[in-house]
Amino acid sequence: MKAYAAGWLMQRITGAGLVLFLALHLWVQHMPNGFLATADEYNRIVAEFADRGPVYEEALASGHLREALDGEHVITYSKVAARLQNPWWKAINIMLLLFGVAHGLNGVHNVLRDYVHRGRLRLIVMGIASLGAVWVSVVGIRSLLAVGSGL
Amino acid sequence: MVFQNMQNSSDKPASLHDKPSLRTVFGVLRSYRMRSGMGAWVLHRLTGLMLVLYLPLHVAGLRSLQDPAAFEQYVTLYRSPLFKIAEAVLVGVVAFHALNGLRIMLQDFFFRSDRHKMLFGVVMVLTVLVTLVAGYQILSPYVAAFLFQ
Ligand code: HEM
Ligand code: HEM
Repeated sequence: MKAYAAGWLMQRITGAGLVLFLALHLWVQHMPNGFLATADEYNRIVAEFADRGPVYEEALASGHLREALDGEHVITYSKVAARLQNPWWKAINIMLLLFGVAHGLNGVHNVLRDYVHRGRLRLIVMGIASLGAVWVSVVGIRSLLAVGSGL
Repeated sequence: MVFQNMQNSSDKPASLHDKPSLRTVFGVLRSYRMRSGMGAWVLHRLTGLMLVLYLPLHVAGLRSLQDPAAFEQYVTLYRSPLFKIAEAVLVGVVAFHALNGLRIMLQDFFFRSDRHKMLFGVVMVLTVLVTLVAGYQILSPYVAAFLFQ
């Protein structure tokens, strides 16, 4: 029963952290503020894309890159990179990633305990989920480190 | 099959004595949801699993952060109308799971059980509010373009 209580507490600690990190995440990604490009800003950026070489030209021609609608706020690389240059933002994103992974994996464990009663099968499913969790953590941290720090 | 059994056997539970009809089905469904936070529990589990599904997809897509041109196209893909609707729904899913999770934590530590129903009401109201505010930011340019272009 000790492991059970640890899991219970873990779910609450990571949950509390996630409230903070996800509130910041949603604020930054969805609300109109300096972290998103306004429609005017974004359309100026799109105008510059044309000079950046054939990859951009092709994407513009095929509609894989396009201008903003009136009043739209757009996530764009230069804004994201500028924010992630700040080590606090980088740390917040890494914490969001690791807390999300830990909380999600523990959540899956709880759900399996309710529905899958064959010990061996449960072990196999948890093993696969754990591998997935390691993959998400490693790939996620690598992407985050690559932005705004010249790595 | 289930319904035939219900009509033929005599030792069925009282609530199942009614003839099968849309009304009975809804009655049974309602009796589930009303019982002691069952609906809240199911929704919390469902939204949690949806987020577990979303996180690996999100991180896989964000591998494009390592290549500005790829990232820009990834974000543009997510700016098509269907993705925008999914985005608003996702905010609702996060809002419910986060607020209901807070409620569970508060109840574990502070509140008497006669307050639980009221607290769940607060969770639902705040979930709708957050979803409407974020949903407006996400969708209004698209609705405007659709109506007035
Ligand atoms: C936003 C902040 C979040 C809070 C406050 C939160 C809170 C909680 C709490 C308190 C529980 C335990 C419920 C119980 O013991 O009955 C839980 C379960 C769970 N959470 Fe979260 N969570 C959050 C975000 C997430 C995220 C991002 C994911 C996905 C990666 C997730 C996935 C799950 C899953 C799968 C469960 C198990 C559901 C069950 O056992 O029925 N949660 N959450
Ligand atoms: C549709 C809504 C969402 C959008 C548009 C979005 C967008 C983004 C973007 C642009 C980034 C790149 C880094 C940054 O800008 O800081 C990012 C990173 C991240 N997001 Fe989201 N996000 C959304 C929802 C979520 C949700 C619900 C979760 C939690 C389950 C989440 C978890 C993460 C994590 C962990 C990272 C770091 C990724 C990495 O390590 O590669 N996001 N998100």
